[in-house]
Amino acid sequence: MRVWLGWLALVFVLSVGFAQQRTLTVSGFGLNQNLIDKNITRPFEARCNCKIVWEVGNNADRLAKLAARKDNPNVDVALLGDYFAQLAANQGLLERLDTSKLSNLNELYEFAKNPLGGNLAVAFTIYAISIAYRTDKITIPITSWRDLWRPELKGRIALPNITTTQGPPVVWLVNRAFGGTDTDVNPGFERLSALKANVVTYYNQSAQLAGLFAQEEVWAAPVGRFAWGNLLATGKPLAWARPSEGQAGVSNVAVLVKGSRNQELAYQFIDFIISREVQTAQANDLVDSPVNRNVRVAADKAAQLTYGLQQIASLRIVDPDYIVKVRDAWIQRWNREVAR
Amino acid sequence: MLSQSPARLAAWILLSPALLFVAVFFLPPVIALLLESFHVGQTYGLQNYLTFFADDFNREVYWRTLWISLLVTLVSALVCYPAAYAVLKINPRWRGLIIGLIILPLMTSPVARTYTWLVVLGREGIVNKSLVETGLLQEPLRILFTEWAVFIGLLQLMMPLMLLSLVSAMENLPKDVVPAARSLGASEGQVFWRVILPLTREGLVVGGTLVFTGCVTAYVTPALLGGPRVTMLATLLYQKAGVTVDYAAAAVISAVMLLTTLLVNFLLRGRAVKTARAA
Amino acid sequence: MRESRFPIVMLGMALLFLVGPFVVVFISAFSGDRTLAFPPSSFSLQWFAKVLTVEAFQASFVTSMWLGVLSTLLALLMGIPVAYALARYQVPGAEVIRVILTSPLILPALVVGLALLRYFVLIGNNSISFGLLIGHTALLLPYAVRVVSASLANLSRDIEDAAHSLGANRLQTFFRVVLPNIRGGVAAAGVLAFITSFNQVPVSLFLTGPGVSTLPIQMLLYMEYTYDPTIAALSTLLILFSILFVLLTERLLGISKYV
Repeated sequence: MRVWLGWLALVFVLSVGFAQQRTLTVSGFGLNQNLIDKNITRPFEARCNCKIVWEVGNNADRLAKLAARKDNPNVDVALLGDYFAQLAANQGLLERLDTSKLSNLNELYEFAKNPLGGNLAVAFTIYAISIAYRTDKITIPITSWRDLWRPELKGRIALPNITTTQGPPVVWLVNRAFGGTDTDVNPGFERLSALKANVVTYYNQSAQLAGLFAQEEVWAAPVGRFAWGNLLATGKPLAWARPSEGQAGVSNVAVLVKGSRNQELAYQFIDFIISREVQTAQANDLVDSPVNRNVRVAADKAAQLTYGLQQIASLRIVDPDYIVKVRDAWIQRWNREVAR
Repeated sequence: MLSQSPARLAAWILLSPALLFVAVFFLPPVIALLLESFHVGQTYGLQNYLTFFADDFNREVYWRTLWISLLVTLVSALVCYPAAYAVLKINPRWRGLIIGLIILPLMTSPVARTYTWLVVLGREGIVNKSLVETGLLQEPLRILFTEWAVFIGLLQLMMPLMLLSLVSAMENLPKDVVPAARSLGASEGQVFWRVILPLTREGLVVGGTLVFTGCVTAYVTPALLGGPRVTMLATLLYQKAGVTVDYAAAAVISAVMLLTTLLVNFLLRGRAVKTARAA
Repeated sequence: MRESRFPIVMLGMALLFLVGPFVVVFISAFSGDRTLAFPPSSFSLQWFAKVLTVEAFQASFVTSMWLGVLSTLLALLMGIPVAYALARYQVPGAEVIRVILTSPLILPALVVGLALLRYFVLIGNNSISFGLLIGHTALLLPYAVRVVSASLANLSRDIEDAAHSLGANRLQTFFRVVLPNIRGGVAAAGVLAFITSFNQVPVSLFLTGPGVSTLPIQMLLYMEYTYDPTIAALSTLLILFSILFVLLTERLLGISKYV
């Protein structure tokens, strides 16, 4: 009997001990999670003697969850696309960052230090959005966004759904390519609506694209550069288009959730993911393109990333405030005119 | 026999945990959600419903959900009636195995079941491969991400329910009914239409209800096999509640879904059960 | 008169349609290729190994297990008394009670999940795990009542009356006479309930949070990110697990007559 009690007590003590280990909850994208665990989660857990719990999903789902739990947040740090973070800020979900606690901040490119203003976010990566396509099926290279309307591509392309991060930037670029402006988006929507016959599906997760390419459902699709590693892994011959109208650019930022009870750890985490070591590792694994200027990668890797100030400067970055303003209207128009 | 009062008390004691559980933990949230659909600003009204159905995208989604569900119900009834008949005529030794095979899909998650169609229906999937290789098609068909893919997925998901209902109903047929009809000169067709069908009507209704309501509320299959272009009621609900955070619309969709399933349940089953009970 | 072949052909086709895809999954699970392609060009056990390494699966498997066990226990604890009361007593409003208790089955599970999330978890400030437990238990309760009722119906009252006349009170009669005789029904109800909970998707869809998620939901999420036969391997394992579980309880308790 006493032996039982002893074991019980031991188990109890141990479990209480474990329960008291600090936990940091991070909301993230989930793409390449195994690489993220290798480069970020495990090294950080070792360093801080804490545990990271991830909540993964696409931007829209996670933002909805943050909003739903506004009064009782269960997430400490969120990694979001820039305009999604702006949406979160507008809803009062974020805590202003104390930049003195981020020792690596000065190593970042200027635009990454305070991308939304008010020190609400820090960018940890930036990526280009362009068209990935099969070079064996599409022998004439794609050199313009208008090429998606080629008749040979009937039933062979996928577009990002309007609720994904790539959605609005693609609409914006297409609109510009057909002569529209920031205030007149009719050209863009009309052309996208006319594209229906070419579209197989509107993907909600860029990871779905790898499957669509692998299964021969799709020959071309606009996508973010962060998915390039995944797409190459399908083994299909692919190329990254350099359209004359330009490639869009979106940065992913880290934000501190208001009401987080783990601010110490949160700051350490954000500082960690913008550090040179982590940014280099992520770049080498083709997970995220670096925004830390001290990162050096080999030329062949750099060619697969959005690397270096020159490339970054060439991107057409849509103002997050603009997207926040037009998003609801665009979602309505999209559902009504395009995704039917 | 025990006297009435202590028996009554005992019965209520036995019933109370379950009743309390449902009444306290389960029903209030659901009722609150349904009430929310009538909540317009500070007052109550039907405004949310009007707004919802005024949008033709929403109407399209609802209509699509209804007709696909109806089609699945019809096709499964057409296939399962003869199939159920066959199950009963099969050597009893094999019957257990067959029933096991039919129950097997019900024991797996809809995720696993739907996943298989991603492989089978893709452009490089077996269906297309065999059609192309045998020369029946020039180019592979686009099946995935269309209403047909959702139809096929739902049909596979729901068929066991229909099959089991019909088998169960047919098992309860008096043994000599069919041979009697035959000996009176009825053909196979007449036996079916005028003997079997009327007598197993309740099984058909039960199965049909299960299949129809199952399709109306299905999420996984439309989400995976249909994509955003084939939005159905359940995927629309998820979008409204989990993505665009439009709780008014989500509440309306929930109420619509509930009303649709309740209507089917009580209209059809209520009547069938009443006639069976009266019999 | 010649028997038509039509019924048996339809049965064959139906079975092919129902079981065929499982065969596909089963074969894909052993694929030696890097991505999902059918038929596979080579065979290997790599995907089974991979399943065991995915952390999300491990954590959610544990969640699904405790959720299944706990909700099954709760459903049985509440359901057996209900079945007994409805079978042995004249309860006024028995029909209404039956309707209330079966309501979880009639309500769309997706709506249940959303309602619990909105009002129970977010507004009521309860944990997601608690919400999951409520949702699953509510869904299992009707099954428990139905199956146990069926086996109670087969148990003649005489045995209880006999025990009574020998001096046993109600409680003793229940635990020493009734329960052992409906053991098979209870086990059947338990198995059915557990498997239903384990494979549940719609209720669990909304009720996920960081660190709390069920296995089917994680499978769904995984499928959206990765395109390889890992899910095929996991599905195969789960199907085998379900079959084994059912067979085992069938062997031990002989439950097939109650389903």
